Amino acid sequence: MLDSILPVLIFSALALAVIGAWRRVRLWRQGRSSPVPILKGLAAMPRRYLVDLHHVVGRDKVMSNTHVATAGGFVLAAVLMILVHGLGLAQGVLGWVLLAASACMFVGSLFVARRRRNPPARLSKGPWMRLPKSLMAFSLSVFLITLPTVGILPEDFGSWILAVALAAVLVWGLGEMFFGMTWGGPMKHAFAGALHLAFHRRAERFGGGRSTGLKALNLDDPKSSLGVETPSDFTWNQLLGFDACVQCGRCEAMCPAFAAGQPLNPKKLIQDMVVGMAGGSDANYAGSPYPDRPVGEHHGNPHGPIVAREGKALVDAETLWSCTTCRACVEECPMMIEHVDAIVDMRRFLTLEHGNTPNKGAEVLDNLIATDNPGGFDPGSRMHWAADLNLPLMRDVKQADVLLWLGDGVFDMRNQRTLRALVKVLRGAGIDFAVLGNEERDSGDVARRLGDEATFQSLAKRNIATLSQYRFQRIVTCDPHSFHVLKNEYGELDGHYEVFHHSTYIAELYEAGRLHFKPWKGGTVTYHDPCYLGRYNGEYEAPRNVLRALGIEVAEMARSGYRSRCCGGGGGAPITDIPGKQRIPDMRMNDVKETGADLVAVGCPQCTAMLEGVVDATAEIRDIAELVADALVTESDPHTQPTAEARIAIKEVAS
Amino acid sequence: MAFEALFQPIEIGKLTIRNRVVSTAHAEVYATDGGMTTERYVKYYEEKAKGGCGLCICGGSSVVSIDSPQAWWSSVNLATDRIIPHFQNLADAVHKHGGKIMIQITHMGRRSRWDGYNWSTLLSPSGIREPVHRSTCKTIEEEEIWRIIGDFAQAARRAKEGGLDGVELSAVHQHLIDQFWSPRVNKRTDEWGGSFENRMRFGMEVLKAVRAEVGDDFVVGMRICGDEFHPDGLTHEDMKQIAAYYDATGMVDFFGVIGSGCDTHNTLANVIPNMSYPPEPFLHLAAGIKEVVSVPVIHAQNIKDPNQAQRILEGGYVDLVGMTRAHIADPHFIAKIKMDQVDQIKQCVGANYCIDRQYQGLDVLCIQNAATSREYMGLPHIIEKSEGPKRKVVVVGGGPGGMEAARVAAERGHEVTLFEAEGSLGGQITLASKAPQRDQIAGITRWYQLELARLNVDLRLGTRADEATIADLRPDIVVLATGGQPFLSQFPEWGYSENPEESLVVSTWDILSGAIEPGKNVLIYDTICEFSGVSAADYLADKGAKVEIVTDDIKPGAAVGGTTFPTYYRSLYEKEVIMTSDLALHKVYREGDSLVAVLENEYTGALEERVVDQVVVENGVRPDEALYYALKEQSRNRGQIDVDALYAIQPQPCLAEEGEGFLLFRLGDCTAPRNTHAAIYDALRLCKDF
Repeated sequence: MLDSILPVLIFSALALAVIGAWRRVRLWRQGRSSPVPILKGLAAMPRRYLVDLHHVVGRDKVMSNTHVATAGGFVLAAVLMILVHGLGLAQGVLGWVLLAASACMFVGSLFVARRRRNPPARLSKGPWMRLPKSLMAFSLSVFLITLPTVGILPEDFGSWILAVALAAVLVWGLGEMFFGMTWGGPMKHAFAGALHLAFHRRAERFGGGRSTGLKALNLDDPKSSLGVETPSDFTWNQLLGFDACVQCGRCEAMCPAFAAGQPLNPKKLIQDMVVGMAGGSDANYAGSPYPDRPVGEHHGNPHGPIVAREGKALVDAETLWSCTTCRACVEECPMMIEHVDAIVDMRRFLTLEHGNTPNKGAEVLDNLIATDNPGGFDPGSRMHWAADLNLPLMRDVKQADVLLWLGDGVFDMRNQRTLRALVKVLRGAGIDFAVLGNEERDSGDVARRLGDEATFQSLAKRNIATLSQYRFQRIVTCDPHSFHVLKNEYGELDGHYEVFHHSTYIAELYEAGRLHFKPWKGGTVTYHDPCYLGRYNGEYEAPRNVLRALGIEVAEMARSGYRSRCCGGGGGAPITDIPGKQRIPDMRMNDVKETGADLVAVGCPQCTAMLEGVVDATAEIRDIAELVADALVTESDPHTQPTAEARIAIKEVAS
Repeated sequence: MAFEALFQPIEIGKLTIRNRVVSTAHAEVYATDGGMTTERYVKYYEEKAKGGCGLCICGGSSVVSIDSPQAWWSSVNLATDRIIPHFQNLADAVHKHGGKIMIQITHMGRRSRWDGYNWSTLLSPSGIREPVHRSTCKTIEEEEIWRIIGDFAQAARRAKEGGLDGVELSAVHQHLIDQFWSPRVNKRTDEWGGSFENRMRFGMEVLKAVRAEVGDDFVVGMRICGDEFHPDGLTHEDMKQIAAYYDATGMVDFFGVIGSGCDTHNTLANVIPNMSYPPEPFLHLAAGIKEVVSVPVIHAQNIKDPNQAQRILEGGYVDLVGMTRAHIADPHFIAKIKMDQVDQIKQCVGANYCIDRQYQGLDVLCIQNAATSREYMGLPHIIEKSEGPKRKVVVVGGGPGGMEAARVAAERGHEVTLFEAEGSLGGQITLASKAPQRDQIAGITRWYQLELARLNVDLRLGTRADEATIADLRPDIVVLATGGQPFLSQFPEWGYSENPEESLVVSTWDILSGAIEPGKNVLIYDTICEFSGVSAADYLADKGAKVEIVTDDIKPGAAVGGTTFPTYYRSLYEKEVIMTSDLALHKVYREGDSLVAVLENEYTGALEERVVDQVVVENGVRPDEALYYALKEQSRNRGQIDVDALYAIQPQPCLAEEGEGFLLFRLGDCTAPRNTHAAIYDALRLCKDF
């Protein structure tokens, strides 16, 4: 009896799935166009799934194996089921393989079930709680209906009641796995995820590559608004990407703003985008809400505003402005969703079309427009900090091996110490370097992260024009934000440079034997990875190599390297300053405290400022350049001081 | 950026100064050996440059000619080429830290002493005596004028060849140039006196000769006063005319402006305003000069705080602020601003210990910073953490010696407990701050309070330590700085009793602390003649008492320095305090409700009496030795300080010796009554090696 209804059930489910898929594709196609190579993408998809995605998933070995068993078992079982039970190709080994696949899937689903027994807070509940049962229903029923096929059981074993029961279970399984996949059930992630991998907007990320620069906005397109106002303003493959979310909450667990109690949860944000794309309210969302923001009060539709000018729409503006753009969510996402791109897209609209950059945001942008620096300082005072250093200016020397990019830290007394230390190091190594001096402008990082693409492009173009007048081998900077922007975001505007973070450059100089250090006499040291150096640019080793060269054994924080916790200073977050329950830098200094370190080495002016702002910190904050400068063994250089002087206060000013 | 105006570089002539803060010229009294700069001198300025000071102008009153005596104040001698290599050391030391250095050059004319060294005949435009130095002089002749003009040019050349960045011509403080300017002193009728142009001539010829010698790429500035404050002297309007006149030559690269002339004791006190003055009291005079000149103007006088400096610069009153005493108190002034450690700046309190020593021909020292000018000896401004064992240090007494000992020991990384019997820190500084116009001295304590809190010193205020409490802490080192008590029991005839009901005399401490109500008709007998007596007199008069202050010394307040006794006198005379000298307190007895003080003339033995209702005696401090002797026998070192090691700034040998129990040291007035600097110096040199 089953034999006769199985094909009906299977093909009905498949038909419904195709209809669902078509409807889903229509939802995605509401988005703006975005040319991607369709066939090439599809061809690359299996590898992207098996290698790149599983590289992320594999950080959790149990979950990774569970997924391999369950998903692998399912894909194989589903295909074979169609062949064996749908088309009746029951000959030979196929049945046995199907039996094995479903058994494998069943074992996997037991692990899925186990994970759901005491699920961590980051996992969404709701329909996701039934998924392990559905997986078991599918795999078990397929297993059972295949037993007669391979002859383990007689063709007509059991009674019709048993057959009906089995069919019912199978319908449940098929419903979840095929119908649910395209009609918005938990299995949607497999369908959308696979296509998302195929049509990903940052194909460079696959195969071990890195793509972290924001994509330029066409400011001259008269047909479209600037940035994303409604869900349909995203590109279609961004919408597709949102749909790929498995709500595993790894992003949520890593998000510094969420941990600080600011109204942001990257997972919820992505789910809100899904709600907006399909239309409706967030009432059915079954994960952690935005801190302090109840679920069920927001709603949206594909063509309605995401952020209401007044009252509530899909997402509150505070949610978008809470993001530090640290990329911890993106780094963590097994589906390789691009949260930060989406947030900046939406910020662009708020800033460029509404002029609604909160708190100090508008002032900072005004400053950047008027003075080319975020603090609104006299642009002619950029070199005041170095009045006694006689730094060679590019305008005078025209060419140098190294162009030292100073960044806006020139206006900050704390960063001036880092810069002076770096100058001392470069001089100690006998480097031919020069600076742009008053010709340098803000790199545009903050403007861009605050959504002011116009100001970013204006700054970037003028910086590129300035740089084009001079000859240099490479740019070195102690500011990872400038580093990232110069290296990864000026390219789209035709500025192509070899850019080094100072830690990388110092590591190179040390390797080349151009720097010599006195042995380290201080206490325990930990290292804080700046987001824009680490996650954005993959530089985790050079700073550690430098510290090792200084004789320092780094006491690593639990969250370091690609999982480093943001200092809270990126993305203009200190400027938009959205209140939470605690401050991100406080949490970071607690991470430091746990290592017992009495010094935390950093490599970013922003991190330095944020971490030094922590009250009652247990560790001193020093830039790597400062540590190197302190340890430097130099010949009598007129710009350095005798080594007998050891303490900080004097050094900073005098070196 | 905070302090933006402070950190704006500025061009003086062709020289770029990295910020707006200047250590202006003052006599250091460190140059010895015929006026050659010493290692001490170089290190003193190097420390300022290291600490971030933009420009140092060294060598206040450094002489260009052999007949302007330099030895009295050990100033620098630019009258010989021998100085050039010394300047090279000095210039290198400052330049290597990004600082700039110039020197003030002058001929002091009549403003010196003739009775020593070369027994020089002093020179002045009209041979009029100078009262502050009691110096007589001859009327300068034309030949001498031209010789000295040439000496100026040669001195400037030596500064330039020595690698210094510039010279400042002193036309202030009644030196020879402004002696020619001032009609008060210049009565000449030849071409060097009389009309404005004639009075300007000497300075103009000096300027021309100097500029001709050094060329355009060497800074030449002038220091002038903004108003002589003498009815017959130069007024502010005169000074504006003078400044504009020289500025018009284009040969002056900057003007330094000081309020007040200084050829009397009273005007001298204005020049280095002590704590009785408001902040920047003469800024308006410098601002007036800035209105009429085209080059940067420097002004120094009571600018001590970074916020104050920023405010002055932001207001555009002047272009650079002189913060000279501020740098004597803390040569790392700028560094601490840049380190965001403004609260750690040791701020000058205007005690004028520095300048008052200088006027006596003694080396300039800071009342609260014993490391200043002792850098060459290895005394540190910033205390390094010890690499040796962490020790438990108990300090008893929260006066200056105890506070410094606790600070230094804590900076060394030791665990420090400080006992103070009173409810607050400060010891005698707290008493001193109670007098009118003396409240700022408490700034010394305020800094220590902040530092001791920052260094987590365990403060036990209101707790009198005894043997048992100290033993409970099981200390490795005990430092006693318990001070002492007013010494009223020396002469039984004074009728002092520990019972206040019975005692016929009270101490200045009783008065200043408020423990004893001021009387209505008070006699103060002050045999010490330092601050406490005149402070008590001022305090009592301020409370409405009729006060007579009597001393057996040559005048009340005789031991108060030259820039400070005038401000006391202004206050005391204004309040009709009677000041009587040459009488010793012979006896006090009670008669009815009144007290009779019997005074004996020092020179005739004659007795006279005063009938008053309160007798206050200042007879100095008797060390409080009880705790010391209670602990001495138990201590490993029997309380002894190895003076050879102490004076050589070396570690006490006993620190390196193993042993059970504690080391015992005592400091400050509990050893012998000296002063704040002595207590702090001993504490620093003793504790820096803990």
